[in-house]
Amino acid sequence: MKKRILATLLSVTMAASLMACGSESTNESAGDTETATETEAEVSEDTTESETEATEEASTEETESAEDTEAATDEEPITLRMAWWGSQDRHDKTIAAIELYESLHPNITFEYEYYSFDDYFTKLKTLVASDEVWDVFQLGGNFPMYLDKIHPLDEYIESGIVDVSKISEANLKTTQQTDGTQLGLTNGINTYGIAYDPAMFEEAGVELPTDTWTWDDYQAAADTIHEKLDIFGSSTFLTSDFIAGCSTYIGQQGELGQYGFFNLDLTGMGFDDPQMLTKFIQMRADMINNGSYPDAGASAEVTNIENDFLVTGEAAMTWVAVNQFPTIYDVCAEQGRTLALAPVPRVTEDGNSGAMIQSSQMLCVSEDSEAKEAAAAFISWFENDIDCNNILQAERGIPANEDVRAALKESATDGQQIMYDFVDYISSLPTPEEINVLSPDGQDQVQDNYLNYIQQVVSGEITAEEAAEKTYSDAEAIFE
Amino acid sequence: MFGGSSDKKTTGGKFIYREEVVGHVFALPFIFGFVCFSLIPIVLSLYYSFTDYSLGTKQAELIGFKNFINLFQDEVFGKSILKTLQYVLISVPCKLAFALLVAFLLTRKSKMVTLYRSLYYVPSLVGGSVAVALVWKQLFARKGLFNTVAKSLGLATINWFGDEKLAIYPLVLMAVWQFGSSMIIFAAGLKEIPSSYYEAADIDGLSGLQKFFYITLPCLSPIILYNLVMQTISAFMTFTQAFIITAGGPNNGTMLYALNVYNQAFKYNRMGYACAMSWVMLVVMSLITLAIFKSSKFWVFSESES
Repeated sequence: MKKRILATLLSVTMAASLMACGSESTNESAGDTETATETEAEVSEDTTESETEATEEASTEETESAEDTEAATDEEPITLRMAWWGSQDRHDKTIAAIELYESLHPNITFEYEYYSFDDYFTKLKTLVASDEVWDVFQLGGNFPMYLDKIHPLDEYIESGIVDVSKISEANLKTTQQTDGTQLGLTNGINTYGIAYDPAMFEEAGVELPTDTWTWDDYQAAADTIHEKLDIFGSSTFLTSDFIAGCSTYIGQQGELGQYGFFNLDLTGMGFDDPQMLTKFIQMRADMINNGSYPDAGASAEVTNIENDFLVTGEAAMTWVAVNQFPTIYDVCAEQGRTLALAPVPRVTEDGNSGAMIQSSQMLCVSEDSEAKEAAAAFISWFENDIDCNNILQAERGIPANEDVRAALKESATDGQQIMYDFVDYISSLPTPEEINVLSPDGQDQVQDNYLNYIQQVVSGEITAEEAAEKTYSDAEAIFE
Repeated sequence: MFGGSSDKKTTGGKFIYREEVVGHVFALPFIFGFVCFSLIPIVLSLYYSFTDYSLGTKQAELIGFKNFINLFQDEVFGKSILKTLQYVLISVPCKLAFALLVAFLLTRKSKMVTLYRSLYYVPSLVGGSVAVALVWKQLFARKGLFNTVAKSLGLATINWFGDEKLAIYPLVLMAVWQFGSSMIIFAAGLKEIPSSYYEAADIDGLSGLQKFFYITLPCLSPIILYNLVMQTISAFMTFTQAFIITAGGPNNGTMLYALNVYNQAFKYNRMGYACAMSWVMLVVMSLITLAIFKSSKFWVFSESES
């Protein structure tokens, strides 16, 4: 008898622990932010195939009637997983837009996740490896790495689910493959600039940046501001130091379109002489040694644009992707400061601007998605709907849809107006016919090494010439 | 194990009641977990270390020993090994010495001892957490608490995370600060030392310091060995601090090995290369642990031998 009780106890314990094991493993594989409901939903979809088909049919109907916002309540429920990276501002706005979409389409529920830039791609890579990429996901210029996971939109454009009638050919092209495959819709067009505080320039007696100012002007201004005001002349460019130094600086040299850091089809380098980089690296090292640019320790304190040294008043300039400008403009306005926006400095006053109008990011449908049509319909709404974009407020870049842009411009805040004018100005500059704004797989490591080489130049470990050589050979090694 | 035919006869009865079956059934949850979540990944990682497996493209072609050869040409790899060794060699002895000191102080008979012991254990509880790392980052920042205090006292401020040589010390300090678990083990060991030894020493007229070196340390040496091995292994695997506080910078001055592996695998997509690094790490750690064990016969005191 005693033994029997023991055995019963034993089997119960074992069953319980096995169950615990099992549930733990599902949680782990499903990723931390996914809830149990989602797992259940997946299971039910798996078990009844007919149901899935019905779902897809329903979603087609649903998207066709999306225009007149008529929500049919008897449709099969669809769960869309979505993720993006960005600042808190973007998270708040995107969640509000998603909630609006859910209220218009009661059968669709979103499970969204948001991350900082680095964490987003770490998570994405693990999802790629396990074939579980979010239904709707955001990608930037590094998309070539994820081509296998992007479901092209062409079929949905043809069937009218995705509306591109108000998006210009040029803007569509920013998110196309070279063969014309539409990978996604751009969230907005974007370019780089230098945000600065004119009051600090005046206080230090430095001339304000002009439209054709040079890197020498930039360095001189930063040094003087540091001397007079005892703050950083320029805040850290963070990882954009690579874009500023390697992409922009190289493109600014020679004839228009003669050089690029990588070649147009991403199969090799776009310039031959590593020494073309030397001057920029030397300038950066000199500025750090001078105290007019943050050193590695100070740079590590800046984690996103909202706590940039320009915003905290510890620097007079910083590098921005212009879609970030309205956010920091508003924060500084609350402190009683007015920011302005200048073009990226050039190598010579009459040389190339090196400026590029590009897609800030795009939204893509995942190849792993089980509700691709619903995902595509959402993307179309996200980029084309005026109400939605009134919530988003061009925080991801200037909308590609003409109607949306016109509607937003009417109600633009001061900071946004500066951004619109700036992009119009940059668009008017001569640009090469073909440019490459994409990053090849492997660029992350080149970039990290490049930033380390600059620090080694600062500490005198290597010279700027050596740093240039090393960066060039690191980049070349990508294509081996 | 399943052999014993004599057992079968004596136990008789149902299959489940046989001793060896019961044992395996009890161990099943562990065996299941170990095989699925440890053994299979370990074997796979050995296989992947000979491939160019990348998380992004998911192709894994066998490339022989190329990953291991590349390791030796990798500047960052070399630096990360040196920095990790520096971290381990400084943090582990400091941590053990501190843990022993506190444990020794807390052996005196006082009502508050349990309270203090719990208090000192708290840092180990919050241990490798992200929150503590973020607090640490703020404390040592250019305008953080330590520099503010230094400034108000008229001392020079120190740019901890801006200097390649200094940046690792805040991380070391954080490891030393989490001395709680070693302290608890030391405290238990101290209680085991027979008080008759100390009484004899009192009669012989030994000073406190002499008692510590001639009685406490030798009697405690097996415990020290245990703590040394455990702490060395965990120090080699330190990740959170370096990842959160410095992200490996400046100029890879805090690029601890585990962080480098993580970067290669998840940031640069070179999973195969990262697997190779992990196996090199395993070999290095095994050798160091082996060396500690081999050396133990010279300094670990065991009562049976004396």
